[in-house]
Amino acid sequence: MSTLELTRQYHFSAGHRLESADFSSEENERVYGQCYRQHGHNYLVEVTVTGRLDPVTGMAADLGALDAAVDRIILSQVDHYDLSSAVEALRGVPTTGENLARAFWKWLEPALPVGSLRRLVVIETDNNTFEYRGDAAR
Amino acid sequence: MSDGQVYATRKFTFSAAHRYWRAEWSPAENRRVFGNLTVSHGHNYVLEVTIRGPVDAQTGMVMDLAELKRVVSDAVVQRFDHADLNADPFFLPGVIPTTENLVRASWDLLLPKLGQERLWRLRLWEDPTFYVEYFGG
Repeated sequence: MSTLELTRQYHFSAGHRLESADFSSEENERVYGQCYRQHGHNYLVEVTVTGRLDPVTGMAADLGALDAAVDRIILSQVDHYDLSSAVEALRGVPTTGENLARAFWKWLEPALPVGSLRRLVVIETDNNTFEYRGDAAR
Repeated sequence: MSDGQVYATRKFTFSAAHRYWRAEWSPAENRRVFGNLTVSHGHNYVLEVTIRGPVDAQTGMVMDLAELKRVVSDAVVQRFDHADLNADPFFLPGVIPTTENLVRASWDLLLPKLGQERLWRLRLWEDPTFYVEYFGG
């Protein structure tokens, strides 16, 4: 039976600033530039899951279940919050696209069928995209 | 946090002119093979540069995107933006400036600056309906 990959896109809006607790404010300003200032984005999140095609339903993944999981585990935690100060699970982590992609993967992966999460993408702006495929991927 | 690889992509745009023409062919042969591409025309190209690597534990970044912007602007965008690709040294010796050849030229320009470990993929859009991807090699 065929194995397919399905990708669904989600949206949230949040505030943040890039700041590392390891740096002085001068260093933060030098490393992160204008991103050190408080600002925000309309984020897009793409989640790719894989599954075997069910001959009866014609579906390879339960998108309703995926939507519910993403909504509960990611979107409701971050939508219209300040990522740099109001999200406990991100405390102490610079909220770069890289770290958000890895964090969202870590949150979501245990809630999905084992081995089904393939790819988690955070699109911060039209120009910047961050993709994580888990630790196993090279 | 775990230390798996993260892929970061930044988009760049440039506008350039080109035409498809082989000097050793007759005009009729050129027209037969390349059609209306034999006439000089242009595109708004979009180049997506994907770098990969471990996330720096202190900065939370694979690479400073401002530095990436500097590197790609200096090496690729300034060279090809508002340029006639057929007159570029890459394409002078009879290399047709197709999207395929242009993405390879861009790769050759970026590889020495970014390194094999970091540079993962180039995706070059010729127009909103067509892109070519190159992973090197």
